Formats: sequence, C-alpha cells, structure tokens
Amino acid sequence: MPGRIRGQLLKGTTTLLVLTVLRDGELYGYEIAQRIRERSGGAFFPSEGSLYPALHALEADGALEANWQESDRGPRRRYYKITQSGLGMLAEHAQEWAAFSLGMGHAVGEPNR
Amino acid sequence: MRIDWLLGVVWIVGFGAFLIAAIWLVRRSERRLSVGPSDPDAPIAPEPSSSDAISAYLDRVSGELLLPAADVAEVRAELADHLQDSIASLEAEGLDRERATREALARLGSADELGRNLRQAHQSTRRLLAGVGGGVFAAGGGFVLGYLGGVLIALLLAMVVFVITSVLARLGLPLPDLGDHGDTLNSVLLGISVAAAAALATRYAVRTSAGLSRRAPRSIAIFWAAAGAVGFGWYSIFGMRGAQSWPGIVVDLCIPVVVVAAAFVRIERPMPHVGRWAVAILLVSVVGVSVLGFAFSAASVSGDALPALVEGGQANQPVDMHFDTVAPLAPAAWLPSGNQFYGGGSGPDWDGTQITAVVGPDAVVPMSTAMANWHDVRFEAWHGFLDNPSVSYGIDPHYSSPFAVQPAAVHDTYLDAVFHFERMRSAGSWWVMLTAVGPDGHRYRLSDGDGGSSHFNGSAWDWLTAPL
Repeated sequence: MPGRIRGQLLKGTTTLLVLTVLRDGELYGYEIAQRIRERSGGAFFPSEGSLYPALHALEADGALEANWQESDRGPRRRYYKITQSGLGMLAEHAQEWAAFSLGMGHAVGEPNR
Repeated sequence: MRIDWLLGVVWIVGFGAFLIAAIWLVRRSERRLSVGPSDPDAPIAPEPSSSDAISAYLDRVSGELLLPAADVAEVRAELADHLQDSIASLEAEGLDRERATREALARLGSADELGRNLRQAHQSTRRLLAGVGGGVFAAGGGFVLGYLGGVLIALLLAMVVFVITSVLARLGLPLPDLGDHGDTLNSVLLGISVAAAAALATRYAVRTSAGLSRRAPRSIAIFWAAAGAVGFGWYSIFGMRGAQSWPGIVVDLCIPVVVVAAAFVRIERPMPHVGRWAVAILLVSVVGVSVLGFAFSAASVSGDALPALVEGGQANQPVDMHFDTVAPLAPAAWLPSGNQFYGGGSGPDWDGTQITAVVGPDAVVPMSTAMANWHDVRFEAWHGFLDNPSVSYGIDPHYSSPFAVQPAAVHDTYLDAVFHFERMRSAGSWWVMLTAVGPDGHRYRLSDGDGGSSHFNGSAWDWLTAPL
C-alpha cells in the first residue's frame, strides 16, 4: 500500500475525484471526503478546506446540483448530485487524466534492465 | 378620429410583459438575499452552540464570504454539519471533545482562506455578467413602476391640495391663486415622480444583481449608487425638460441623493412588493392612460381644432390696457400715412415658447421710408395679464420696465425680432410692442403689439443659467 499522495500532486485532481464518487449517487460533503479516501484505499485524502470550494464551484458551473435533505441525525444536510453536464465534464477529465497518467507512466517508468 | 389599435395593443402588451418580467426577475433574484422562516429552502443550521471555537471559526469564514444571506447561511450550515461529523469520527477514534474539535478545525484549514475560496467559487464571471444584465433590466422595470407610483403619489397630493383649498374656500379664507403656481406644482410633481422612479430603479438593480451575481447587496451597492447618481443626476439636471421652478430645481438636485440612499438604506431588508391587485390596477391605469394618449394624439393628427393659445389683444378691448406704461403713442405726423405700425395679422407668432415679433407699417411703404424719423427701434417684452381673467388684457402696470428687449431687424417691408421666452424664468404672461426714439429724442411706441402667455421650457441646467 503506497503512502498518502502528497498534496501538491493532488492539486487539480479534486474535481475529477469529486465527480467520480458522485457518479454513483447523491452524497453530502463529509461523505464525499470519506468516499474518496475509501475508494483510493487511503491514498487520496483531499484537503477538507479545498473540498467545499470545489463543490460550490462545480455547482456554479452546473456540473452538480445541491439540495437540502433531512438526515437521520436531525438537521438537514446538503446533498450533491451530478448533472448531465457534470457527467460530460467527468468524461473529459477522465480522458485527460488517462492521457496524463499514461504519459507520466512512460516518462517515469522503470529504467531498462 | 383614427386610432392605430394594432400598434396600441402591441405597445401595451409589450409594456405590460416587460413590467411583469422585471417584477418576476426581482422577486426571483432576491430570494437568495434573505433567510427567514417563510423560506422553505432555508437551511436549518446545526451549529453546535456549545462550541465557541466552532462559532468563531464560522464567523471568520462568513466575514470573508461577502455573499447573499441565504448563501452565507447555507455555507455555515454545511460547514457546521461537516465539523459535527468530523468531531464525532475523531471522538470515536479516542480523542476527547476539545482535541477532536481542534483537529476537525485544523483539517478545514485557515478560515480566511476557506472563506475567500468559497467566495470565488460562488462569484463566477458568468454570474457577474448575469447580475449586471439582470440589474439593468430590473432597473428599467423599476424606473417605470417607480414613475407610475410617483405619478399616483403626485395625483394624490394634488387631490389633497384640492380638497384642502376647497374646504378653506368654503370657509371664506383668502387663498393664493394656485393657477399662478402651475409651473411650480408641475415641476415639483415631475421631480417627485422621477425621484421615486430613480429610487426604485436603483433598489431593483442592487437587489437583483446581488442575487444573480451572488454578492452581498451592500458590497455592490456602491457601484449602482455611483452609476445611478451619475445617470439619474445627469438626467435630472440636463435631460429632464419641461416647466421649471426653484422648488422643482431643489427636488431635481435631490435625485442623486435619493439614489444613493435607495442603494444603501435597509438594502438587506426585503422590499415590500406590490400584490396582484396592485399590479392589476397598475396595468389598467397604464392601459387607460395609453388609450387616452393614443386618442389625444390621433385627434391632434387628424386635425381636430385645438383651442387657440394666443389671441390678438387689440380688438374688442375697450378697457385701459396700460399701454402708456411703456411709452406714449408716437405722433401721427411721424408715422407713415399717419397710422401706427401694425402687425397686419403677422403680429407676435406663437411657435412653441419662442416668440417671433413681426410688425410692419400699416401703409405698404419701404421700411427705409417708414423708419425715416426713428432710431433705436426695438421690440420690448413686458409682463402682461393674459392669464388672469379678472384683469384687463394688456400691460401689467406693476412693472416699470420690460423683462426682455430685442433690437428690431429691418427688412424690406417689416421689422422682426425673436424672443426665446422658453429660456427665461419669468416670462409668464407677456406683451410685446414696438418702440423707437423719435426726432425729439423721446421713446414712443409705434405699435400696440400683441400678447400671450408662455412658460419656461428646458432643463434644470437651462433654468440655472437662464437670464431672469
């Protein structure tokens, strides 16, 4: 199990991670952070301080919809849901990330033995 | 009478749709500006009141947000919810409440930075453009609604004045003739109407653009206040033309101040909105006034006779018209064919508020011959009594000098001069006659002239820079 990926490396990936976990259904903020951590096996641990600005920016761009729902704990929570526009954005980001990942893999791949 | 009904219907429907759209936009936009029990979407903030540290953190975040109240409430509720989950999770890992709270806050990072980042996330360029466009549109609707409201207020005031004066008249109390102050009343009421329109336009603009651009109303009020003060200030001083008076000028000069006040005073509070019945009454009023306007314009265009504004004063006026106040009549021996100069139907002409005084000799002789005995020939404009039926036509003897003088331009068979009474503050009722200095060195009147009434017609700036 690799250690946690450094924050600098995570910059710019928050959008991709958020859209990816929301593809499976509605989640609220704390749940999104937990889900990212779980799905990455603890490798990705986005800064909680950067998570909410990213969520609100995606909502402003129309990639997410937010609504308040009753929670089992009592007070209402703000749930986020991905939109069609968000799905398109996710596909673009995933494609970019795949290209980036492939290129990076080649660039820093193991040297020939 | 011919009325272009199709054009009228299109105009009225379009205008009504514009007003309804503007009201709808304002009401929809300002939903974000307040959070109250009546708002079903308002978040129920789960802020733990027991933790001063959390409240202080949320207060610092809120201080950086500069967002509408609903957005601030949502952000606070969302972050408080997050912190409660985070603290509960940390407590489950074995931390005590105080350490768990500190750790949860630390994971969110700097409150100031989080607030700024959240603000940037909300205040996108797209929303800013929507706010500017929506604000301008709402301002247009607000101006029209405010103007109509101002007119209604003005009519109400006029009715109140009418009722009071009627009661006082019945009681036998001496009252000033309000007819003498028509320009004052008109200019003040017009100023009040425009001030109400400017105030509502500014308020609509601030609240609509704040809601659409996701900004706190007070943070953008300065821009609309500046734009409104400059725009409406320019309009009230240079663009708004018509009757003027000193009280009206004071109201006009107050319009920029009213605009600034409208942009800031209680701007966070919801505006009282007109109800459905008020909208219906307003629309019916607009329709009624529009129909009357079309009917009136159609009557004018089709040539129906309108009452003559000026009638010659010389005929059928046996009473003393105080012409000698100006100068004695010229001796017949010095006049061509023994007759005074005569307008011959081309006396002072009515052309809006500009007076062209034209006088020719009764006998058709070359003007060089007719003027052989005279020099310093000029037209003099004196205050007259035309507006007051209880006094004879002619010169007002309370004045000992003319209020305007123009040297006569000499043409082949006539003399003329142009008076711009619309640029003079105190033209009112006037009488124009021709005078000249005779061979004996005294000034005589060569014509009894003609009179009428006129009103100042211009902007506040014209009034301020006009000769008396």
